[in-house]
Amino acid sequence: MSDAPVQEVRQTDVSAPAAVDVRDLEVTFHRRGRDLPVLRGIELRIEAGEAYGLVGESGCGKTTLAMAVVRYLAANGTVDAGSVLVGGQDVSTLSEEALRKWHGEAVAMVYQDPAAALSPAMRIGDQVGEVFRYHEGLSKVGARARAREALRSVALPDPDATMRRYPFELSGGQQQRVVIAMALAVNPRLLILDEPTTGLDATVEAEILDLIEELRGRLNAAILLITHNLGLVARLCDRVGVLYAGRLVEEGPAREIFTDPRHPYTMGLLRCVPRFGMNKTDAALQTIPGTLPALGERKPGCIYADRCPMVKSVCLRREPDLLGCPGDAAARARAEAEAAPADSQAASPHNANPVGEAAHHARCYFSAEVPEMPLTTPVLAATKEAGPEGGGDVLKIDTVRRSFRDGRKKLVAVHDVSLALKRGETFGLVGESGSGKTTLAKCVTGLIAADSGTVSFEGKRLRPTAGRRSQAALRAIQMVFQNPDSTLNPAWSTRAILTRAVRKLGGGSGSSVRAKVDELAADVRVEPRFLLQKPMDLSGGQKQRIAIARAFAGDPTLVVCDEPASALDVSVQASILNLLVELQASEAVSYIFISHDLAVVRYLSDRIGVMYLAELIEVGSAEEVFKPPHHPYTEALLSSIPTLDFDDPHQRIPLRGSMPSLSEPPSGCRFHTRCHRILGDICVEQEPPIQEAVTGHTYKCHIPPDELLQLQTATEPAAPIEV
Amino acid sequence: MPEAVAGRTGQEIQANADAALERRWQRRYLVAALLRSPTFISGLVIVVFWVLMALFSMHLTQSPFDVNPMSTLQAPSSAHWAGTDDLGRDVLARTMAGARTVLFIAPLATILALLWGGIIGLITGFYRGLIDEVIMRLVDVLLSLPVVITSILILSLLGSSTAIVIVVIGVLFTPLVSRTVRSAVLREREREYVMASRLRGERSWFVMVGEILPNITGPIIVEGTVRLGYAVFTAATLSFLGYGLQPPSPDWGLTIATERVFVQLAPWTVMFPAIALASLVVGVNLITDGLGRVFSK
Repeated sequence: MSDAPVQEVRQTDVSAPAAVDVRDLEVTFHRRGRDLPVLRGIELRIEAGEAYGLVGESGCGKTTLAMAVVRYLAANGTVDAGSVLVGGQDVSTLSEEALRKWHGEAVAMVYQDPAAALSPAMRIGDQVGEVFRYHEGLSKVGARARAREALRSVALPDPDATMRRYPFELSGGQQQRVVIAMALAVNPRLLILDEPTTGLDATVEAEILDLIEELRGRLNAAILLITHNLGLVARLCDRVGVLYAGRLVEEGPAREIFTDPRHPYTMGLLRCVPRFGMNKTDAALQTIPGTLPALGERKPGCIYADRCPMVKSVCLRREPDLLGCPGDAAARARAEAEAAPADSQAASPHNANPVGEAAHHARCYFSAEVPEMPLTTPVLAATKEAGPEGGGDVLKIDTVRRSFRDGRKKLVAVHDVSLALKRGETFGLVGESGSGKTTLAKCVTGLIAADSGTVSFEGKRLRPTAGRRSQAALRAIQMVFQNPDSTLNPAWSTRAILTRAVRKLGGGSGSSVRAKVDELAADVRVEPRFLLQKPMDLSGGQKQRIAIARAFAGDPTLVVCDEPASALDVSVQASILNLLVELQASEAVSYIFISHDLAVVRYLSDRIGVMYLAELIEVGSAEEVFKPPHHPYTEALLSSIPTLDFDDPHQRIPLRGSMPSLSEPPSGCRFHTRCHRILGDICVEQEPPIQEAVTGHTYKCHIPPDELLQLQTATEPAAPIEV
Repeated sequence: MPEAVAGRTGQEIQANADAALERRWQRRYLVAALLRSPTFISGLVIVVFWVLMALFSMHLTQSPFDVNPMSTLQAPSSAHWAGTDDLGRDVLARTMAGARTVLFIAPLATILALLWGGIIGLITGFYRGLIDEVIMRLVDVLLSLPVVITSILILSLLGSSTAIVIVVIGVLFTPLVSRTVRSAVLREREREYVMASRLRGERSWFVMVGEILPNITGPIIVEGTVRLGYAVFTAATLSFLGYGLQPPSPDWGLTIATERVFVQLAPWTVMFPAIALASLVVGVNLITDGLGRVFSK
């Protein structure tokens, strides 16, 4: 194996058994008679108490690696070579029975979807108690006491009431807390977190991260965090491994990986993510050209060579080993010097990294040149022309309200929202799930009818549902959906999908339709050969491109984009966002862009609206909304995003309690139950006025702009006031 | 340990990629997968055998109608492999020829049920609302009636030609099919491509037939084979009870009914058609199982 030198370095410090010690691991999946190597030559060491982050795009083998570590691979996966020691224990030698026992005692896993990890038919108390009864042989009463304690340790409010509840009565964040409580109940030596916050809202995610961070101090468990969210890793982990196509391509201290990446893939990933505060007029997003190699594809050279912007002939001949990075020592020294005025983050064992001298390796011959890696897309795309034009409003939404019925309860999902949109403008809509973003979008497109209020397009009032709108109105307002796998009809070929859209929306016949379809495909950069394919033969990014082409078939004036890139990997997301910006520049189209990713919304939008509990609580230019004075909710939302900036001093503002129910929205200001800047009774009793911070930037709060500005720019973060 | 379930992003992509791979594999290798399923293959062999018999047995065996008063109720011998019946007709020839009627009635009845059930399921699932409520309650009423008793009543009322038997079985199976189709439509209509077609101003019938129908063929095919098995069964039951086919038809149900008085004297007269009937039902059910397993993968 080519990793011999690295292995030698590592063998020097095996005095204390590592929490995880993976050597030369090879995992193969067997699929329909073919052997597909998923992981090759993985070397990994996690010390006790260390948090290790595993990043990489989907399909790189992150979850497989975690499963191999705990010997929990799917039936068609086998470990072909290498060894896995967890806490000094060779996992492969355990008998079935011993393995089960060991799973219960030494390792714990937390998955993405907490609802699926909990039994829907069991009360929380019984479920958590069961862990203690099974693993510690406690009596029912004893187990309940321990369960209560466990729930308290994960900061669930009112553990006694929670014990009596069923999982469906808890919010997603609370469910995940219960899962974490169960995972930690056995006092594991290794805690595996597989995308633990991916389905959760930003503020809930931040709470769970706080919890994990806090628990780390108390437990001596090693943490293996798997995620596609680089910000999460930056915040939580001491060391990071970057996995690409089953190979570990870079590994090192988190801070170094994110501030000074030494592998072109890591660099590419970091450049894909829009930095906070970036806007489409500043620069186009960088992308990673090409796609992940298919499983089982084996080439002699570097596995990343065909996507690498700095590939040289040697890269194609022989694969590089995991090499220590040049300038590594210097970088470390610098990092330590910077971390010296110890903030709380650096005090955690961020730098207590015992893996020997060369702590930062990259599988690249030219890691010294990575900081100067050439850009993959020109910095300035046609973005300057994007942006609102003068003239009147294209779309006007006036006090739109829509409610749903849930049994006997009435849920108002959109409560009297008004806003206007100019031609060529992008309006970003942010807010947590359940805030009414998608419902509002569907009222605009006519997929659902508003109960009251009007939607006018170019001065004309639109009929409430799409079925009753004129073909011209339908053509003008189109939509791009979230899920690439259901947005295209799986039974139709791509060409058929586009042809139908052009026929219905653009009109024309025969050759002109054909020409238009080819033109659309070219516009969204889908090669003609893919037009013959069915959606299932396309990648997620390609499907979303076709969906965008479909929306543009009739030269629309407004396209509503409902999280169009959030189901995609970051590199694909970047290219989709670039595409939307380009199309806006060339077609002068307006967007309503919905996303829960604030950096993405900030990047794409000219103006932004923030929704909370069915109300639009703040509207303003992207820049204004994201800086003080802004609504306290926006402030909290912004503070909850994990960023890649290690020196960012920003203090997270925890929101109290959980999202109130839409069926009984709080009196007065809807945010008062969770607001950290609550003034007192006035917020509880009176609906706040709409205040104007600067022209065009309004928010709904009792605190006047100058006071809010003062509060939000003060260095001392306001302590949450209890009501 | 709990299973990872797709949510919104990262892992979902993985799951989706897997699902897409799986689907691609399914369509492209559906036949290959079926051919590798022993269940499906054994079912197919049985059913194909009976189809061949229905089509060509008259060229292979003696005539099923040739009466021979000289050799009635003969035990199986080299001349008559399955013996003869009370009129001296060759039991083997009649058993083989008996496949003809049942393989005519059952598939036609099933096709009618799929057609009507498909239309009802599409409409109720797509429009929901009042239409759905009313039709589905009617379906519940129909489902609460015992199939055989109801068909006897209807056949007594309308007369019992083969055509009416087919229609009656078709009608009685319609509710079950419509339920299956409706639930598939309900799942499919919430998908984003259906929303996209509404934003294109497509007519409802186009969305139903052009967009949704091609994506619910899997459940429809599986439901069809399930119904086919029951249709064979029901057709045989009805002819056993004297509805539909009349003597001298070699139909299995009818033969079992007419020959059952000789069952102690000449068990082969009943045994062979009974085995034939059972084997066909088992064959169809094996196909159903095979299909169901491949589709649900």
